[in-house]
Amino acid sequence: MELDDEKMQVDDGIDEISPMTLGHYYQHLFPHALYYKWLNYNGKLATTEYTHREFSFTIKDGIYLRYQSFKDSEEFQRELSRLSPSKIDIGAIFTAPPKHAKSLQPGVFKPVSKELVFDIDMTDYDEIRTCCQGGDICAKCWRFMTVAMHVLDRALREDFGFTKIMWAYSGRRGVHCWVCDERARKLDDPGRKAVAGYLSLIRGGAEQAKKVNLSQRNAQHPHIVRSLEIVEEYFEDVLLVDQEILLTRDRWTKVLNALPDEELRKIMDAQWSKRPDRSSVDKWSELIDAVDKRAAKKGSKFGLSTFERDLMLQMTYPRLDENVTTHVNHLLKSPFCIHPKTGRVCTPIAADQFDSFDPFAVPTLAQLLREVNEAPVHSGSAAKSTSMAPYIGVFEDFVSTVLPTPTGSQPSLDF
Amino acid sequence: MFNQRAVKKEGYPGEQTAVPEVVRRSRYPCRLSMYSDAPDVEVSIEEFETFALDRLQVLRAIEDAQLRAKGEDDMRKRVSEALEKHMPSHTNRSKLPPRQLVGERRKDHVSHFILRLAFSRTEELRGWFLRYECALLKHRFQNADLAEKQELLSSAQLRLAHLSPADRGAKLGSASSFYAQQEQLFEVDFERVLDLVGRSQVVLRAGRAFVPQSEVATLLIHEFRHTLTQALSVCAKALPQMGEDERLLPVLQNLSNQTARSEYQSTGAAGAVTAESVVGLSDSFPLCMQHLHSQLARDHHLRHGGRMQLGLFLKGIGLGLQDALVFWRRAFSAMTDDQFQKGYAYNIRHNYGMEGKRADYTPYSCHRVIMSNPPGPGDHHGCPFRHFSSERLRAALHKDSLPDPEVREVADLAQAGHYQVACTRHLELRLLHRRQNNQPQPDADIRLSAVTSPNQYFDLCLGCTKPAPPAAGADTASTAAAILSGAPKAAAAIH
Repeated sequence: MELDDEKMQVDDGIDEISPMTLGHYYQHLFPHALYYKWLNYNGKLATTEYTHREFSFTIKDGIYLRYQSFKDSEEFQRELSRLSPSKIDIGAIFTAPPKHAKSLQPGVFKPVSKELVFDIDMTDYDEIRTCCQGGDICAKCWRFMTVAMHVLDRALREDFGFTKIMWAYSGRRGVHCWVCDERARKLDDPGRKAVAGYLSLIRGGAEQAKKVNLSQRNAQHPHIVRSLEIVEEYFEDVLLVDQEILLTRDRWTKVLNALPDEELRKIMDAQWSKRPDRSSVDKWSELIDAVDKRAAKKGSKFGLSTFERDLMLQMTYPRLDENVTTHVNHLLKSPFCIHPKTGRVCTPIAADQFDSFDPFAVPTLAQLLREVNEAPVHSGSAAKSTSMAPYIGVFEDFVSTVLPTPTGSQPSLDF
Repeated sequence: MFNQRAVKKEGYPGEQTAVPEVVRRSRYPCRLSMYSDAPDVEVSIEEFETFALDRLQVLRAIEDAQLRAKGEDDMRKRVSEALEKHMPSHTNRSKLPPRQLVGERRKDHVSHFILRLAFSRTEELRGWFLRYECALLKHRFQNADLAEKQELLSSAQLRLAHLSPADRGAKLGSASSFYAQQEQLFEVDFERVLDLVGRSQVVLRAGRAFVPQSEVATLLIHEFRHTLTQALSVCAKALPQMGEDERLLPVLQNLSNQTARSEYQSTGAAGAVTAESVVGLSDSFPLCMQHLHSQLARDHHLRHGGRMQLGLFLKGIGLGLQDALVFWRRAFSAMTDDQFQKGYAYNIRHNYGMEGKRADYTPYSCHRVIMSNPPGPGDHHGCPFRHFSSERLRAALHKDSLPDPEVREVADLAQAGHYQVACTRHLELRLLHRRQNNQPQPDADIRLSAVTSPNQYFDLCLGCTKPAPPAAGADTASTAAAILSGAPKAAAAIH
């Protein structure tokens, strides 16, 4: 295989993310054929789904190239090799090829469709998680993503009837979701806003301690009832055992701030300050007991009777970056990019692996190139002989769902 | 569409025959319309303009009511009053002369189409017109009598079928209890009731929404919005061909220039603002901007929503591009030059129209801050009166050294949903305290008209604090100074 001549060179800078290492990745490991089939929604000749699609590239020195478009997969591959972008974003499908955008009259060039996308970023959990902050993640806080995928996936399938859904690890600290059903791709901005509104529960900025406020009727909505069941499965393990959200005074103060009863807040604070060493599990059950007793005394008006439910949702229900979802013309990082900070591949996550998916098992660029170098020389796909293989398998399964069915719906070409 | 029993109780359709012959045979047998056919009537130039202006008054009143109304009932009352004043329309059951009924409906019909044309010019105008025409139709539908509703629904051809009790059980199962037992349900694609989907007011199953009878207006409005959107883009294409008509075009232009809320125009009340002088001016910032400014100082960072809200506000008070770059660079002291240049400088230049599509962005209005892009976790943007918990808001007001009863007054206004009124009151009280620093006057008060943008707040606050320059060019400064020198309880309208 032709890589042989280059082995020495690659070894030199193999741990860096550089135009050279990226070039190798795009040339030998990126799943071009499947990627093309996905975005073309067809395995054959290029359709406008592909040719009118905006890609944007981040190239060296952070230069951001928008409105790139390609007539076919070959042209896309050539440009990737030439520019070795450190990041590829996927945008909308427009009324014309985006590379011609500048020569078109304003108003003629408009976004027409795009996958319905969701972005969940771990930084939105910074006010809750106690293990890491900012760009860091660990196995403990990753479970917030696990819950998020379960909740949203069920809603998208059962409530909206979508079936062509791909989840992806962003390569660093979050997950993306690509809903590829034609009906989802056709949604306009108000449509996306409605779906995002339906799926969003956490409302309020940094200055609002209680972020879930459900009317009595909305609390009975089947989506909320089902989501609560999922949340309940994880809450104790993730929030109390792993995150220990009531361990120290700093931590329990944040939780108590959401309690709509100042007196009770003081009582609990005093009680826990006396015996701060008790576990979060114990403290939580004390808190809920106290809240229930008080709710029985004061009646249902003060939001006490729903406190447990609301708090569990507030701390466990998925936190969406709604701006990403609500606009057709919003770009999202492509699967199979290399994350510029971690070097990890942005890989698909199979729908039956939400619980077992391990972001730290995802290969990095350096690891892949080493594997390619060490692999026995043989023809065929280089990627299949590396630790990319299982992720490509997941992608392959997903892509087969978006392609038109080969028999039945299409007329035969036999004469 | 409506069940038989209800129809009988109201005495319909027996009374249909009571519709005056002249009305029934006219172009306008019904009071409400989806405006599907263009008028084919002669209209004088005078009528053309007055009809359109009257309708515009109504649409603007709706916009205003959405901003200021205290709850649904007040909203309905305000819109009804505007309709009564500018575009009255009576039902077939009213005992008015048929000629008058037809005249009212003709005006409704014609004025809709004139504005349709006038507002088709730009995307923004189309959006405005669409929003308030839909709100108008919804209002009229909700206030119509049963027969009128029925007529409008059948003219809209919504193609709806009731869900049978058996289907209801089979399709919804236990989720059926989300709706009242006796309520009739329709099953439609979820795209037809986005408003209800976004507020989780309907149960969804595999992409189908179950819509209760009481929400049928949503379906109607969806249909209307859909057809009107298409019609507007057809109009937009036809508009250039009217270039020859010297009588109509100026009228149309003039109409669409009158959309109510014009964007804030910088007054330069603060003179030349530099990166250094922002801190000194922050005393006169509204609460939302003070909050963003102090969070920025604390964290050396703001998330996107906050950067936009504060950045455009600073631009509005007169901070130039070069100074804005210096200001933000210093504020983001924790990052490297490289990070700043790559991640943030572009956006700042973009705000000043120096990148991308080179649009010159204007500061956010209060309406925008309150209504769009609500803050999420970790965000500090938004309106404190809207997006702070009441305890956080009280704490922020206390920090301003307002006495307890005044904090309560402002917080109660915010609690009741009058965010801009609360903010205005906050400004009034701040100004009052500043003025009374030396000699308290128990009965003194200041009344300003409602603040509609953070920049306007700033201008008012600054104008009232600084003595007006001798031959002041800045109107706000001198007007505000006039209030302050006036008698206690001085009232003034400042725009």
